[in-house]
Amino acid sequence: MEYALTLSNVTKRFGNFTAVDDLSLRIPTGSIYGFIGPNGAGKTTTIRMVMSIFYPDEGKITVLGSDRPESVKDRLGYLPEEKGLYKTMRVGEIVAYFGKLKGMSNREATDRAHELLVRYGASEWIDRKCQALSKGMGQKVQLLGTLIHGPELVILDEPFSGLDPVNMELMRNTILDMKREGRTVIFSTHVMKQAEEICDYIFMIHRAKKVLDGTLSEIRASYEKGIQVDYDGDGAVFRDLQNRGLLERINDSGKTCELFPRAGVDPQEVLAHLVGRIQIRRFDLREPSLHEIFVRNVGAEVIAS
Amino acid sequence: MNKTLLVAQREFAENMRTKTFWLGILSFPILIAIAIFVGKLFEQSKDVRRYAILDHSEGQWLSRAVLDRSLTEDLAKFEPGEDSATSEERKERFREWIESLDEDHPIRQLREALVSAGIDESAMNRPDGTLPPEALPIILSWASDPAHAKALEKLGRDLALLDYRLVEYDDLGGDPERELRRRVKDGELFAFFVIDADPLDLDSRSRYVSNNKSDDDLRKWFSRHATEVVRAERIERLDLTDREVASIEAGFRFAEQEQVNDSGESETVTKEDKLGAHAPIAFVYLLWIAVFTAANMLLTNTIEEKSNRLIEVLLSSVSPLQLMAGKVIGIGATGLTIVASWVVSAMIGVQFAPQGLGVDLGAIVGNPLYLGSFVAYFLAGYLLYAAVLVAIGSVCNSLKEAQSLMQPVFILLMVPLIAMVPVVQDPNGTMAKVLTYIPLFTPFLMMNRAAAPPPAWEYAASSIVILVALVIAFWGAAKIFRIGILMTGKPPKIREILGWLRAPVGIVGSPARDSSTR
Repeated sequence: MEYALTLSNVTKRFGNFTAVDDLSLRIPTGSIYGFIGPNGAGKTTTIRMVMSIFYPDEGKITVLGSDRPESVKDRLGYLPEEKGLYKTMRVGEIVAYFGKLKGMSNREATDRAHELLVRYGASEWIDRKCQALSKGMGQKVQLLGTLIHGPELVILDEPFSGLDPVNMELMRNTILDMKREGRTVIFSTHVMKQAEEICDYIFMIHRAKKVLDGTLSEIRASYEKGIQVDYDGDGAVFRDLQNRGLLERINDSGKTCELFPRAGVDPQEVLAHLVGRIQIRRFDLREPSLHEIFVRNVGAEVIAS
Repeated sequence: MNKTLLVAQREFAENMRTKTFWLGILSFPILIAIAIFVGKLFEQSKDVRRYAILDHSEGQWLSRAVLDRSLTEDLAKFEPGEDSATSEERKERFREWIESLDEDHPIRQLREALVSAGIDESAMNRPDGTLPPEALPIILSWASDPAHAKALEKLGRDLALLDYRLVEYDDLGGDPERELRRRVKDGELFAFFVIDADPLDLDSRSRYVSNNKSDDDLRKWFSRHATEVVRAERIERLDLTDREVASIEAGFRFAEQEQVNDSGESETVTKEDKLGAHAPIAFVYLLWIAVFTAANMLLTNTIEEKSNRLIEVLLSSVSPLQLMAGKVIGIGATGLTIVASWVVSAMIGVQFAPQGLGVDLGAIVGNPLYLGSFVAYFLAGYLLYAAVLVAIGSVCNSLKEAQSLMQPVFILLMVPLIAMVPVVQDPNGTMAKVLTYIPLFTPFLMMNRAAAPPPAWEYAASSIVILVALVIAFWGAAKIFRIGILMTGKPPKIREILGWLRAPVGIVGSPARDSSTR
């Protein structure tokens, strides 16, 4: 298999603080790779090292076949979590400017910016100043600036945050389109549902160390199954069952709940306790959700905070 | 295109659209225009000083003589040529000059007025340089006509005739002094003089009464003429020969100052030379404004970019060094455009400068040494302060934070301003020399010293100082910039920043553990 990005035993320290600890990762070309992990775990530091904004203290990073990531910067696209635009520049200009910074000629960048803005339904914005943009609109413009040069590897840091459902759909389609075109996409997110929906692979980092890495199905298969209940009614019953020692953990979302019976407890027994106390719409046994896996890995201390 | 130049080009294009840029371009011509306009306004707005004279001298001879003398002096201001000519020559030349004037020239009109009042034309310039007594009231009444006054004013000479107006009262009653006091109190009169009965007496004291305690010009004017008049009268009474008078009156005199030129010969110091020696003050001041404006633009721009969260996107395409260099170059080009526009507007402005000053302003402003130094030292000064401010900008998240770090820089920047005048007076003195070799002051000091150009070796040595300082400054700035620019949260302490200078490339200091390193 060909890899768009390989990290071998990469460590990055800031003074006494280790932000990334002995991290190894291989990202296959043409895949969508989700980076998850709690705040401060090392996601952004890892991404910044790939973009050669930071340099690792130890280990090796190979990007698009090159040992010197800075030499292939022009073939990468990066949408940082903190998004900003030059307020006084016009939308068309700034998208083209990002393209030119990636080595496109003035003409090529201007034409392509125009084309992209038209395609993404922002043609009327081309000559407006960036300060007039709404947050979602600004994000769209920034995404186009990230993609204008047709990057082979795209890194999106929290691309979905702050988007309305329509723009979220657009973002998702854009990511899937890129995969179809053979590009590699890395994106980080805090929303597990999104990761589950689009990612081929999931990588999770916690306290500078890798805790999960693999395809979504692999990861999920490695965990014991849980019970998924869709219900109406008072969810207090789950807590009741947990107190009585039948359940190990519950993830109650109000209308749907994930239950993990204690070892040796038959799911049927759980079902029997639930019948009559809540309206059950669905009850099935399945692999745990990414949310459950995330929480298990991060542990109680993050939840407490 | 080279990425550094791409960044520079964007900065330049963006700055062209800002108000700061156009204010910078226009500030200089506007400032000059305002200075000229306000100066004129002040001059015009200064009220005519109305005064009265209570002359107890016999036949009021003293005040008549004073007014006569003052008028002659005023008229002489219109007369071309040097003062060294004999009175006969002057008289002839004056006549020729008046003949050459246009019909509507105020001086010509004044002469017509005198002639039509029956005063002999030749009497206008008697050999002793005074006017006949009967001319006096004619001239005074002629000048009190606002249209005539305005015409005279346009000639641009400083005339006592226009500044001070004698108010004559026909009847002041039994106690004239009390009447005059009342008028001073009411503001009707600016002042009045009480002339002693025998002004020639060595013990006599005349008096000056006015409620204005700050503007002494009127008294000085009167006193100056009265002194001459009284002195001349005393001399006459002593029955001295002209030669004796001349030998008593002549003070110790210098010829025009001379200077030694490059070939070792002495030559006369001209007015241009003298003004030119002071010109660097203006240039240093402009240099200071230009350097500070441009460097400050860089600071605000860096902070804005940082707080805009644009830095990360930019750094994913360009290296921190390219970004910094691009910004410095782009804003430097902006500053240079402003400076060039000043130079051009100064050159144009000189064409419209008043001609009556007797000096060639164009030669001073257009002095290639001054202009060359101005542009070269703008670049040097800008780059030096740019390195400092871009480093400060990179570690701050807001202008407010930057201000506290800027304080020491501000204090340093005051030094060349304070030193400006002393250095111009002693361009090759110890203070000038010492300050020249402190890199942050070098550009200003070398500009300041251009009046008496330092020897070539000093130009060479100071250039080396600047170049070495620039290399060190940018080396440090680059190190601070690459770390600082990605930091958010609290600005680092000076000690931490100094620590970064020692760190090898790629190492980020401990305070970087913050919200930005998720």
